[in-house]
Amino acid sequence: MRGGWQLRRVLPRTRLFSTIGEGGTDRRWPGWEVVVGLEVHAQIKSRSKLFSDSLTSDPSESHNTCVSPYDAAFPGTLPKLNSKCVDLTLRTAIALNSQIQRRSAFDRKHYFYADIPAGYQITQHYAPVAMGGHLDLETGRLVRIKQIQIEQDTGKSTFDARRRVSMIDLNRAGTGLMEIVSEPDMRSPEEAGVYLRTLQSILRSVGSSDGNMEQGSLRCDVNVSVNRPGEPSGTRCEVKNLNSVKFMQVAIACEVFRQIELLEKGEAVQQETRGFDEAGARTFSLRSKEDAPDYRYMPDPNLPLLLLDQSYVDRIRSTMPELPGETRARLLKQGLTVRDVDVLTSVDAGREVGFDGQLGEGAVVYFDAVAIGRNPKIVVNWITQDLLGQLAARNLTFKENPISTQQLGDLVDIVQNGSITGTSAKTLLRHMLDQRSAALPSELAREMSLFALPADGDSGSSELEQWCRDAMAAVPAETAAAKKGHSGVINRLVGRVMKMSRGRANALKAKEVLQSMLRGPD
Amino acid sequence: MKVAIKDNICTKDMPTTCSSEMLRDFTSPFDATVVSLLHQAGAHIVGKTNCDEFGMGSLNTHSIHGPVINPWKSLSSDITPRSAGGSSGGSAAAVAAGLCDVALGTDTGGSVRLPASYCGVVGLKPSYGLLSRWGVVSYSDSLDCVGILTRNTKDIADVFPVLNDYDAKDPTSIPLPVRAKASKLLSVHTFSRWNRDASYLSGLRIGIPQEYFPAEIQSSVVSPIRALFTELRGLGATLVPVSLPSTSYALSAYYVIASAEASSNLARFTGIEYGTHVGPPPEADLTKASRVYAHSRSNGFGREVQKRILLGTYALSADAFDNYFLQAQRVRKLVKRDFDHVFAVPNVLSSSPSEASSQSKVDVIMHPSAIRTAPPIDSGSESLDTYVQDTLTVPASLAGLPALSVPAGTADDGWPVGVSVVGQWGCDELVLRVGEIVQAVTAGRDSQSSSSD
Repeated sequence: MRGGWQLRRVLPRTRLFSTIGEGGTDRRWPGWEVVVGLEVHAQIKSRSKLFSDSLTSDPSESHNTCVSPYDAAFPGTLPKLNSKCVDLTLRTAIALNSQIQRRSAFDRKHYFYADIPAGYQITQHYAPVAMGGHLDLETGRLVRIKQIQIEQDTGKSTFDARRRVSMIDLNRAGTGLMEIVSEPDMRSPEEAGVYLRTLQSILRSVGSSDGNMEQGSLRCDVNVSVNRPGEPSGTRCEVKNLNSVKFMQVAIACEVFRQIELLEKGEAVQQETRGFDEAGARTFSLRSKEDAPDYRYMPDPNLPLLLLDQSYVDRIRSTMPELPGETRARLLKQGLTVRDVDVLTSVDAGREVGFDGQLGEGAVVYFDAVAIGRNPKIVVNWITQDLLGQLAARNLTFKENPISTQQLGDLVDIVQNGSITGTSAKTLLRHMLDQRSAALPSELAREMSLFALPADGDSGSSELEQWCRDAMAAVPAETAAAKKGHSGVINRLVGRVMKMSRGRANALKAKEVLQSMLRGPD
Repeated sequence: MKVAIKDNICTKDMPTTCSSEMLRDFTSPFDATVVSLLHQAGAHIVGKTNCDEFGMGSLNTHSIHGPVINPWKSLSSDITPRSAGGSSGGSAAAVAAGLCDVALGTDTGGSVRLPASYCGVVGLKPSYGLLSRWGVVSYSDSLDCVGILTRNTKDIADVFPVLNDYDAKDPTSIPLPVRAKASKLLSVHTFSRWNRDASYLSGLRIGIPQEYFPAEIQSSVVSPIRALFTELRGLGATLVPVSLPSTSYALSAYYVIASAEASSNLARFTGIEYGTHVGPPPEADLTKASRVYAHSRSNGFGREVQKRILLGTYALSADAFDNYFLQAQRVRKLVKRDFDHVFAVPNVLSSSPSEASSQSKVDVIMHPSAIRTAPPIDSGSESLDTYVQDTLTVPASLAGLPALSVPAGTADDGWPVGVSVVGQWGCDELVLRVGEIVQAVTAGRDSQSSSSD
């Protein structure tokens, strides 16, 4: 079969990341240029759906449990716009440098399908909420954004081949989506992959979507065309419904090879919509341009124009979470090392995105809270070296971290002001993790008698002197040697004192006391 | 108070069929907001009323429950049964026959006012956006209004405030501050000149639009209305001839917009989630969802509904959209502008209220509600005439204005004639007050003439 042949031919080649070869074209397809544009559908991470009060759900929810009469298109129901969905889309627009339209509108896109119960999807066909913008990729490429629109997700239909029935789950029906359309500015499958990953991390950092491709909360369609260098772009084909970065890249490469093969045979590429067969690593025709359905777009007569005044947009702008690049720059400026920043941000990459723009309590937020009024470098060391290590040792994720920012801050403070020693602090941290104690370390240190003996001053000196006397009495031979001037032996005595004090004693002070005792009463 | 509810308004303890095979056994899981408000106010809901299927029709003949017979004259062998009008024919007939005190109807292009006129009762189509549409089965969302029918205008004035409230569940419900602003404008521009508590009309300016007396109108319908105008002048009203030049385009625009929205709104009736399901025959093409739905939809929708779905589907198709749908929207704007030009009260919903001199402006306009009295049930139901019935009621629908049909006497055939009182958006109170006076005038006249019966 042709598909199988293509699989063998394509896959080894797509692994090559090196893209630009001699003459500015890709080594995989010398003499050809590739043009790629993406349409990304990202589910808006709102608590309830776009136009109804029913809750949004993930695929693990039992089917048809998050459905209101509106979601099932019962007669007499009307849509009610969830402003949280608008707010989160505006965050996305701001993050992508897109121009928010003061005036946008909702339209109905009509088609009959089992998973759209109203017979139409509400989208923004004529006047999208944001136009223009760009996303800078780390490869140096600037990908322009064409537009961002708000629309409804569909339900899910599953065909049971054995019983020959379609099953409809409306849990997803009516969930808010952002459709983010790029200009055809990408030049390779890998660049499209970088774009998608970068977009994903931006959506997550502003809390507008969890961008989870496995769960289906981020899906994409790609537009692909090829042309000879110096010639205008070729006829494009759209490949729909790609559900992972990897498969998207493979689909683009397959489509590039298919188009080149046609052109090299002297045939034309037909503008059409194609699907992607993951197992066969090939694209296949879904419908030609002539068969394109007429969606009969109509302004929705129920939903008023979406009018956003400047103060509303300003409010969203002023409460925008930090973008990933901004976070990095700020942390580095605070004196953190690249390694520290990498550790904090990689912990955050896996954090859960909260509903309605509530940002998850990630490691950076945690660090920021503890670092207020404290030395950031010392704080980050406690987090990356001690806290994260202890959490990992207990198989806990950062989300499960029981130590509050107040607790860690207090711990850092009592170490810094000499109330407890670093050794005691580590003991205390382990204790708090094991006991899940909500008490402040300063209280716990008192209860556990972990306060360090002061390095100077009188308080505690009698206790220290007692330990010194006990230490000397316990090892009379060493004490005698020390009295004779064996300076190495005195450190062993100091060690005993430290042990007896459970780390609370100040070693230098103990050495001083021991020395004075060894010299003996004059 | 006994209230009947049109069968396209959802009730959770009674079926809501919309007079359609498609919803023959359908009961809604919720009450419409207007139904809840009536319950809260202590109303007794006595039942649901017949209507044209999904509100589409002017004669109430397109119904799985059969036609509604106009109760104005009791049935006898020498009288041909006449239509109660549509689409809220059951509501008008129930009120006229005394089966209830109040009936709710819906009015998309005249569906409350026309049956009110034919049955000799009062029917209000309020300003669009005042009464909640949550629970009203959509025919054409941008035009649909819940309307009220009673025997006396005074009773509407009692029920209307119960239903007139903002509803967060209806995205087209007008917020309270805008309503308050409209009331203020009405006080400033009209009630400052005319004392609404008086039974005379000195200070009130009534516009008579020349376009509302078309060639098709029965002359015997016009006579009682002319008589009424003379009586109103006698009460001190100033009658002003006005022109609403876009009126002749309104009917076509209405049918394009209403059908387009209907084709969209009725797409949900597939017999899958609810409603009547007709499975495809064994050899049927199952390759597309639409082919499967076609069996339920062909069986479930009546002729008139199918006709409008087809018309609306065409109007929204890529090739026709500009020339039909967008053109109709342009006409709709012109119709609104016509009204804004003649009313003394500025339109609170218009972005640029015209500030022309109010000298020639009017407080309400008045015209016949229909071009004829109730037509016989078996005639003309398939001809274009049935659409022409809507000519006089459609403009106020397109502009979203309050319009009240009040009995204005009888024509030569002895059947009732209605007169419509139309006001600026939000001037429902004014329209009702003028309606009360009109009804007092015509009732007085009727009692003089009927004393000889």
